[in-house]
Amino acid sequence: MKRSLMGICVIVCAMAIWACGQAPEEPTSKKPDEQFKVGFIYVGPKDDYGYNYEHDQGRLEVEKQFPDLGVMTSENIPETAEVERVMEQMIQKGAKLLFPTSYGYSDSAINVGKRHPDVVLMHAGGFKHSTNVGTYWSYIYNAMFLSGMAAGEVTKQNVFGFVAAHPIPQTLQNINAFTLGARMVNPNVTTHVIYTGEWCNPGKASEAANALLDLGTDVLSQHQDCPRPVVETAAKRGAFSVGYHSGDLQKFNEKGWITGADWKWGELYVEIVKDVKAGKSDKWVNRHHRTGLEGGFLDIAPLGSAVPKETQDKVMTWREQIRDGTYAVFQGPIKDNAGKVRLEEGQKPSFEFIETMDWYAEGVVGEVPK
Amino acid sequence: MEMLALVRNNRVIDVLRMTGMMALAFIAVGLLLLSFGKNPIEAYGEIFKGSLGSTYGLSEVVVKMIPLMLCAVATAIPARMGLLNVGAEGQLHIGAMWATWGALTLGEWPKEILLPTLVLLGFLGGAVFAFIPAFFRVKAGVNETICTLLLNYVAILIVEHMVHGSWKDPMSFNWPFTREFSDAARLAFYGNTRIHTGLWFALGAIVLFYLALKRTRWGYELRIIGDNAEAARRAGIPINRYIILTLCIGGGLAGLAGMAEVCAIQGRLRPGISTGFGYTGFLVSWLALHNPLKIILMAFLLGVLSLGGDMIQISLELPYAIVNILMALIFFIVLGRLAAGRKEY
Amino acid sequence: MIGIIESILTGAVRSGTPILYGTLGEILTERAGIVNLGVEGSMVTGACVAFITTAETQDPVLGVIMGALAGGLASLIHAFMVVTLRANQIASGLALMFLCLGVTSFIGRPYVGVRITGIQTLTIPGLSDIPFLGRIMFEHDVLVYLAYLSAPLMWWFLFRTRWGLYIRAVGENKLVAFAMGVRVQVLQYSVIGIGGVFSGLGGAHLSLAYTQSWVEAMTAGRGFVAVALTIFATWHPLRGVLGAVFLAQPLLSASRFRPRGSMCPPTIFICCHMC
Repeated sequence: MKRSLMGICVIVCAMAIWACGQAPEEPTSKKPDEQFKVGFIYVGPKDDYGYNYEHDQGRLEVEKQFPDLGVMTSENIPETAEVERVMEQMIQKGAKLLFPTSYGYSDSAINVGKRHPDVVLMHAGGFKHSTNVGTYWSYIYNAMFLSGMAAGEVTKQNVFGFVAAHPIPQTLQNINAFTLGARMVNPNVTTHVIYTGEWCNPGKASEAANALLDLGTDVLSQHQDCPRPVVETAAKRGAFSVGYHSGDLQKFNEKGWITGADWKWGELYVEIVKDVKAGKSDKWVNRHHRTGLEGGFLDIAPLGSAVPKETQDKVMTWREQIRDGTYAVFQGPIKDNAGKVRLEEGQKPSFEFIETMDWYAEGVVGEVPK
Repeated sequence: MEMLALVRNNRVIDVLRMTGMMALAFIAVGLLLLSFGKNPIEAYGEIFKGSLGSTYGLSEVVVKMIPLMLCAVATAIPARMGLLNVGAEGQLHIGAMWATWGALTLGEWPKEILLPTLVLLGFLGGAVFAFIPAFFRVKAGVNETICTLLLNYVAILIVEHMVHGSWKDPMSFNWPFTREFSDAARLAFYGNTRIHTGLWFALGAIVLFYLALKRTRWGYELRIIGDNAEAARRAGIPINRYIILTLCIGGGLAGLAGMAEVCAIQGRLRPGISTGFGYTGFLVSWLALHNPLKIILMAFLLGVLSLGGDMIQISLELPYAIVNILMALIFFIVLGRLAAGRKEY
Repeated sequence: MIGIIESILTGAVRSGTPILYGTLGEILTERAGIVNLGVEGSMVTGACVAFITTAETQDPVLGVIMGALAGGLASLIHAFMVVTLRANQIASGLALMFLCLGVTSFIGRPYVGVRITGIQTLTIPGLSDIPFLGRIMFEHDVLVYLAYLSAPLMWWFLFRTRWGLYIRAVGENKLVAFAMGVRVQVLQYSVIGIGGVFSGLGGAHLSLAYTQSWVEAMTAGRGFVAVALTIFATWHPLRGVLGAVFLAQPLLSASRFRPRGSMCPPTIFICCHMC
């Protein structure tokens, strides 16, 4: 079998020689030196109708606004040291601004940032920044609060189901806000949570959704990167859906659609790209950029026909109050589900209070897995 | 004269034929690309340019080769006596887990003592995990292939259980990974690259395997069992001992790969530390016909391809899957050729 | 309490279906002396092709048929490798898995976000009113019923028909079978092909009924579990049903036990089962 190996050698060598010979041409880019390049990295497929889909919509907006921009994307990159190589490869290709969009990329972004001080990295939702790494996030729990409110009025069973991936602060914010919103209008609501341990696993997510429906829930919400299976399971079994990540999910459960959270990353991305391109990256790095509903990068999805008119109006009034800051989702008094007061009457939550949340609010069943 | 002799032996023709068959895989994938309106030449150019076209690319190929070579040897050693170890993936995970245990509990020890301990732990972890199928094979005749294959899932579940449970970093806000290892538990990197000292484990394993095969009685007996187990048994070769030994040593080497991954590249244990190294290593071993030196070459080829897979995604927006198809086709062709030629097996 | 057991068993029947298909196919193939580790590959091919067909034609029935055929075709590659070329069965099976995972994630790429109307639940009137059992067994989609009907049919085929006898003869001893006048190669080809059809059906159930979506590598190891169950069931179709319902479900959907909080018990539970 020596021959086979020599065969492979011949091919590899031929390819290598040929590839090296090809290299100087640079066929795709027009002005390779001047072009400003941006890289987007996703943890799942970019058409998952969820987290990665919404980030990719933002990417498309950037491409529309800056047609000369060199934009690279890479999907299905695991949240391990793998992503460091992908970032390095993008930097090798000339990227000056990277968007590692998944929570688990945090450490890798910091590491890569250390090695390439001239590259700006904007990490979504993380808790770590450095001289050339910034983070951005829009508090999606605001939308979940409003969705919870709408669901609280629509539900007949008063039992909600929530399919989550990991019990990280972001997720717990959502679960708590969702439950708080519902109990605002309907104090009998309780929420059951199932963790799948994976951002995207359709089989597990549908099974979790089915399990929750079997427990007697009639409203399903979730924090999954690919939210379709849960919405579709709800549709199949005639339950209500509160969407997550994307408003486009409505078409998967027209009849039972309540509302949901809906990202609008485009505007933010365009802003970041504009600033970094103009050399004004100081505005973004070394800090946590956080907004709520007022920031405009997030909203509730259109309310579905399952929601009565007066409830719709009520939700929209509350939306206004949250937008103009007269009401905050997490404001005292808030008790956790063990009865401990987490926020005193009139107390405002600190950044850490939100970003390190590790408890369930009153109304959520069970304990946060430790 | 030499040339003439070669031609007479049909070797040139054979090389050409083999090259042609390999090219067939590339052409088949190229046609697939064409039929979806993509330019195959551009794609292949990008694969090889991305991995061989720069020092950085080359260094990353070497980084990939380290676990691939170790997992390939883990497959090749038992394969030499006709055992199929598909469990390198699981053994890698358990090796990584034992090393993590060491790094988390003994992290205060000085580097000179800690690192050898971790190497030992990694090796032992993999070896102990490989002992399970070996034991069942010897005692109950359980097929080691299926057993090792399924134990992969068990291993991954055990690792997930640990990182979701008691080993979770208290500062990670419930994100599933362990604390970062202390500096004493980290393998050194060379220069600005991510090539780490684990490279010497891999090369060392390959050289030792080579020497053992060629120069020792052990290697000789191994080959005899591989050729004809019944004859070997009659000749008084302790087959059961060899089953346990080869599987455990193989498992240990895969465990070492896991140890190197967590102690060098990842710096902590987390789910998904391996991107299928165990399975790709299995492929490497088969493509190399379980021959130690060829393992280096095949690990290089598959390293190049898998790195190129990322590259075509970034610059041409082609899915990584292309590379998987390519690897599988090459594998099929080598397998088919192997069987049709009836050589060595 | 009854309610929880009922819901767990309902889930078990539903999620065990793709695995049961895979197991039945593998039992048939292994009875003819061929180990096919490519079940995972056939299954993922079935899932992908069924989904694409349904997305293009809006016809889930055609989707199921195409998915099954695609699964069968994929496994014929394995048949060619091991029957004609006599390559190593294990290695060829794994290669088939790699190939199918690669090809499906490539051709399925544009269909990841596509919406389909999949196979709907078909409650059997009358039977579904039986207390307890009715919900567990008769509130599913057609493919579930088909799977559980296939098991006894396969048992009958393997142990009560001449063809079944031939298949088992080939598995036991090829020479004897040859002497009986069985065309061994043709038989092995067809058995591997039919095994692939079963796996393809399992995949179709996964993408058209169970999740109604397509994501690359969505079988997530179900094919391997099917191979394991084949051994667990000692190559007997009816025991395969038990395995699929009682073992496969906790194997893959441990999430059901998680509402109580911790993630730990199911994993341990699973490990015990597997060993």
